[in-house]
Amino acid sequence: MDKTTLKLLGGWLLFGVIMCLLPLVVSTGTLRILIFAHFLAIFAMSWDILSGRTGYISFGHPFLIGIAGYTTAILSFRYGVPIYFSIPAAVAATMVGGTLFFVPALRIRGTYFALVTLAFMEILYQMTKVVAPKVTGGTRGISGIETIVTGAVPNYYLTFAAMFVIGLLLWLLVRTRIGIALSAIQMDEEAVKSAGLNTTKLKLFAFMVSAAVAGIGGAFYVHYLGSIAPRGIFEINFLFTILIAALIGGAGTIVGPIIGAYFLTMLLEFLRPVLPGMERYFLYGIVALVVYVYQPNGIHSLLASARRHLSVGKS
Amino acid sequence: MAIQILIHGFLLSGLYALIAIGFTMIFSVGRVLNLAYGVYIMLGGYTYFMAAQEAGLPVFVSFILALLSGVAFGLLTYELLVRRLENNPVAVEISTLILAVVMQAAIILIFSPSPKSMWPVLRGVLRFEEVSVTANILLATGVSWVVLALLMLFVRRTHLGRAIRAVSMDRRGALISGIDPRNISRVTWGLSGALGAIAGVFFATITQLDPHMWVFPLITAVAVVIVGGIGSILGGLIAAHIIGFLETITTTLIAPELRGVVTMALIIVVLVVMPKGLFGKEEL
Amino acid sequence: MLRNILAGLAVAMVAIWSLSAPPPASAADTVKVGYIGSFDTDTGKSTIRGTEIAIEELNAAGGVLGGRMIELVKADTREDVAEGIRAYEYLNEVENVDFIISGSIDDVSLGWLERMAEYRTPTLDTWTSFIGIIDKVVEDYDKYKMYFMNVACDFALAMLYVDFGKDVLAKDMGWKTVVVMQEDTAFAGGVYELIEQVLAPEANIKILEHIVYDINTVDFAPIYNKAAASKPDFIYLISSVRSQVPASQYVKLEVPVPMTGINVAALGKEFWTDSGGLGGGISTLSPIPSLGFELDERSADFYARYQAKYGDARPIFPHFNGFNAYYGMLNAFAAAERAGGFAPLDKWVEEMENEDIVIEKDGEMWLRYAFWKPGEIEPRTNREYTHNIKFDIQPPYDQGAPSMVVIQWYSDGSTSVVYPPKYANGKFEVPDWLK
Repeated sequence: MDKTTLKLLGGWLLFGVIMCLLPLVVSTGTLRILIFAHFLAIFAMSWDILSGRTGYISFGHPFLIGIAGYTTAILSFRYGVPIYFSIPAAVAATMVGGTLFFVPALRIRGTYFALVTLAFMEILYQMTKVVAPKVTGGTRGISGIETIVTGAVPNYYLTFAAMFVIGLLLWLLVRTRIGIALSAIQMDEEAVKSAGLNTTKLKLFAFMVSAAVAGIGGAFYVHYLGSIAPRGIFEINFLFTILIAALIGGAGTIVGPIIGAYFLTMLLEFLRPVLPGMERYFLYGIVALVVYVYQPNGIHSLLASARRHLSVGKS
Repeated sequence: MAIQILIHGFLLSGLYALIAIGFTMIFSVGRVLNLAYGVYIMLGGYTYFMAAQEAGLPVFVSFILALLSGVAFGLLTYELLVRRLENNPVAVEISTLILAVVMQAAIILIFSPSPKSMWPVLRGVLRFEEVSVTANILLATGVSWVVLALLMLFVRRTHLGRAIRAVSMDRRGALISGIDPRNISRVTWGLSGALGAIAGVFFATITQLDPHMWVFPLITAVAVVIVGGIGSILGGLIAAHIIGFLETITTTLIAPELRGVVTMALIIVVLVVMPKGLFGKEEL
Repeated sequence: MLRNILAGLAVAMVAIWSLSAPPPASAADTVKVGYIGSFDTDTGKSTIRGTEIAIEELNAAGGVLGGRMIELVKADTREDVAEGIRAYEYLNEVENVDFIISGSIDDVSLGWLERMAEYRTPTLDTWTSFIGIIDKVVEDYDKYKMYFMNVACDFALAMLYVDFGKDVLAKDMGWKTVVVMQEDTAFAGGVYELIEQVLAPEANIKILEHIVYDINTVDFAPIYNKAAASKPDFIYLISSVRSQVPASQYVKLEVPVPMTGINVAALGKEFWTDSGGLGGGISTLSPIPSLGFELDERSADFYARYQAKYGDARPIFPHFNGFNAYYGMLNAFAAAERAGGFAPLDKWVEEMENEDIVIEKDGEMWLRYAFWKPGEIEPRTNREYTHNIKFDIQPPYDQGAPSMVVIQWYSDGSTSVVYPPKYANGKFEVPDWLK
C-alpha cells in the first residue's frame, strides 16, 4: 500500500472516530436526521459505483432498493422469517435484480440504458399494486415491520457502521486495478476491450456490487422505517434525491456521494424551521440545480480546488 | 366489440403520438433525454386553464397562449441549462430532472395541489351504436395527425427542417457545411416546447390538471421511444399505435387494472428482442 | 485528498453542530401541539385550520394546564411515507411536542404509526379512515393506545352506505343491478370487499360486473362503454386518487347510466370551480360534517370564525376533518386538564376515552365527539372499534352521529345531504341528460 493511501486511510479513521463521538454532543433529533443521511449515502454510493464509475446511468435505483425492501418486508412480516435470514435473502434477490439491469447493458448504453432502467422502476411500481396485493399490501404497503434496534442512538451507530464499512470497502475497491478499469469503461469502452480486458465481466461485477450495496441499504432502510409503501419507494422524487446526492457530492469518487448525502439532508433540515412547507423543496431544488449546473463535478471537486488554491497561497 | 377497440385504440394512440413527438425530437437532434418534457405538457395545460377557464378568453387565443408558454419554457430550458452542459448528455438529463421537480413544487405553490378538471376544447359526444366518444379526443387525434404531417413536411421539405435533420444525423458534418447547431438546437427546443404544450392542452382536458401530471406523459413518451426506436417520427407514430391499441385491448378485453403492466411488459419484450427499438435509426 | 476529506468533515461538522443548537427559544411554559400532514392540500389545510381555531379559543380562555399557552409546530409530509416518518421524528425529537394532530392519508399514517408506538406520543388522526389502524389498536391495545381516530373508519362508512343502497337506490329508485368501478388502490379494494359482502344480501342489489382500473388510465371511454354494455341500473364508482378523471369523463361522455359512489374530489366546495361546473349530478359518500350538512349552532359558530379568519383562501368551507380537528383538540385538552397533562400517558388515555362532546340540534343528537372504549362492542357489526370516533350506524342515530352522509351536487352548483333521512335536506338526483 502506498503512502497516499495510508494517509487517506487515516482520514477515514478520523472521520469514523469523530462520527462515533457525535452522539455525546448532539441531540437525538440531529441523530435522526443523520440516520437518513446515512441511508441516502449508501444509496448514492450504490448508484455511484454503477453509474458514476462505468457511465451506465441508472434511473432505476429505486427498483433495486424496492426489491430488497419488499423481499425482507414480506419474508419477515408475512411469513415470520427471522431478519438475520430475510436480510441476506433480500440482498441476494437484489443481486438477481441487478442482473436484470445488466441484460440490456450488454447491448445498449448511455441515454438508452437510462430509459430502460426507468422502465424497470415503473414496472415494479405497477406490480406491487396488481400482483398479489394481499402479500405486498397494495398501495398501502406493509406497516409494523420488525426493527433491528430502536431509539435514535443505536440506530445512528447501526446505520453509520453500515455506511462507513460500505464506503470504505468501495473506496478501497475503486483504488484497485478493477476500479480503474471500471472508470476506463466510462471513458472508452472499446479501448478497454482492446487492452485485453473482459468488459462484460467487469461491468457485471460493477452491477453486482451496486446491487448488493443497494440491497443492504434497502433492507436496513425498511427495517429502520418499520414500513414500506410503493409510493415512498418507486417515486421519481426518491430517484431524484439519490441522483442529486451522488452528483452534488461528486460522482465517481465514493467520498463525494457521502458528502452530498450529508449536505443535502442538512440543507433540508436547516430550511425546515424557516420554511416548513413546499417552499422548502422549491428552494432545495433550486440550490441543487445551481450547484449542479455550475459545478457538475460536485462539492468534492470544489473542495479539491479550494485546497489547491490554499496550498498555492501558502507556497 | 371489434369496432369499439378500433375506435378507442385509434383515438388513444393519436393522443399518445402527440405526447411523445416533442420528446422524440429533442432525443433525435440533441441526443439527450429531456426529462423536463413533462413540464411543457403541464405548463400547456395550466396556461390553457388560466386563459380559457379562469380568464374566459376564447378557445383559440387560449390555445395560442398555451403554445407560447411551451415555446418560452423550451427555449428557457435550452438557454439556461442545456447550452451550458452541451457536451455532457448525462448532465442535461439530470439537470432537466431537477428542473421538473422544481417546477412541480412551483405549480403546487401557485395553484395548490388540488386537481382541476377542464372543459373540453370541443364539446359534445358522438355515438356510433354502442360506442360513445367525446368530440374532444377526436379533435386531439385530428390535431395529432395534422401536427405529425406538418412536422414531416417541415423536416423533409423546408431548408430549416433539412438542417435539423442534418444535425440529427451528423453534428460535425453539419457544422462544416455552415449550419450553426446552436440555432438549430434553439429551434428544436422551442418546437419541442410547443408540441409538448399542445399535447398538454389535450391531455389535461381529457384527464385532469394536477402538479404531478408531468410524470405520466413522460413515462408514456419514454415507452414510445423505447418501442419505436430513437430518431424516427414514423417509428414513434407506429409505436404510439402499438401501445395505444395494446392498452385499449387490455382495458376492454382483459382487465383494466393491467393497463400499465402490459405496456411495461411490451417494453421489456422489445428490449430483449430488439434493443434499438422496432424502427431505431440515427436520423429524424 | 486527505485535506479534502478533512475539509468536507469540517463543513459537515459545522453544519451538524449548528443544527443541534436548541430550537428557537420558545417560552418554556408553553404546551406544544404538533401537526403532521400535508401543508398544501385542501384536506391538510382543513386540519391545520381547525387546530388553529381551537388553539385560539383555548388560549383566549386563559390557556391550558394552569394558564399555559398552546403553541403549534407543523411538519410537512408532502403525502410521502418516508417524509412522514421524518416529520414524526422531528416533532418528537427536535420539537418535543406534547400532542400530535394529524391530517395524514392512509399509507403515511401507517408509516409513522410505528414511531408513535415508540415515542408514545398522544396522537389524533383526522383524515385516514383505514380500519386496519383501528384493528391494530384493538389487537395490541397497550402498544397503540395513544392513537385516536376522529373520523368513522371505512368499514362503518361502507355499512351505512349499504343502507343508502337499500333505502334510496333500491327502494326509491327501483334499481336492482350495479356495475362497480374501482381504482386499484388498497382503500378502494377494501371498500369493495365490504360492499360485495353486504350489498347483495342486505340491499338486494346484484353486482353485474366488478371493474378494477389503473389510476393512471387516460381514457375512460372503453371502461364506461363496457360498464354500460352490461346494462346495469347504475354504476358505483370508488375513487380516491385522481377522482376528477373518471368523474369529468363521465359527464363529458354523458354516460347513459346513473352513477354514484365515493369521489374524494367532490368533498370540497371548490369542486365546482375546479371542475369548471361539470359536477352536476355527481353524488358521493362523505364523512361528516360535510358540504350541504346542516350545521348546529356550535359548528356554525366554528364555521363563522373560520370564514372570518381565512376568508377566500381555499378551502373556503372546511372539509370534515377541519371540524374533527377542532373538536378533537377540545377533547384532547379537556382530557389533559383532568389528567394533569398529556403525561403520564395512561392517565390521559383514560380521560380521553371518557371525553364526550354531545352536540344537539332542535333537541336531537346531531354530532358526537366521543370514542369507542376498549372492549365496547358495536351492536350492528358486532365488533370493537377501540379509539375510533363514536359513530352510530343504525337509525335513529341517537348513540352518535352517523358514520357518513351522502351529498349530492346539483347542476346549479349547490349541494345538499340526501341520506340518511334524519340529515337529508335535498333529493337524490341523476344527471340532467338522464332525466
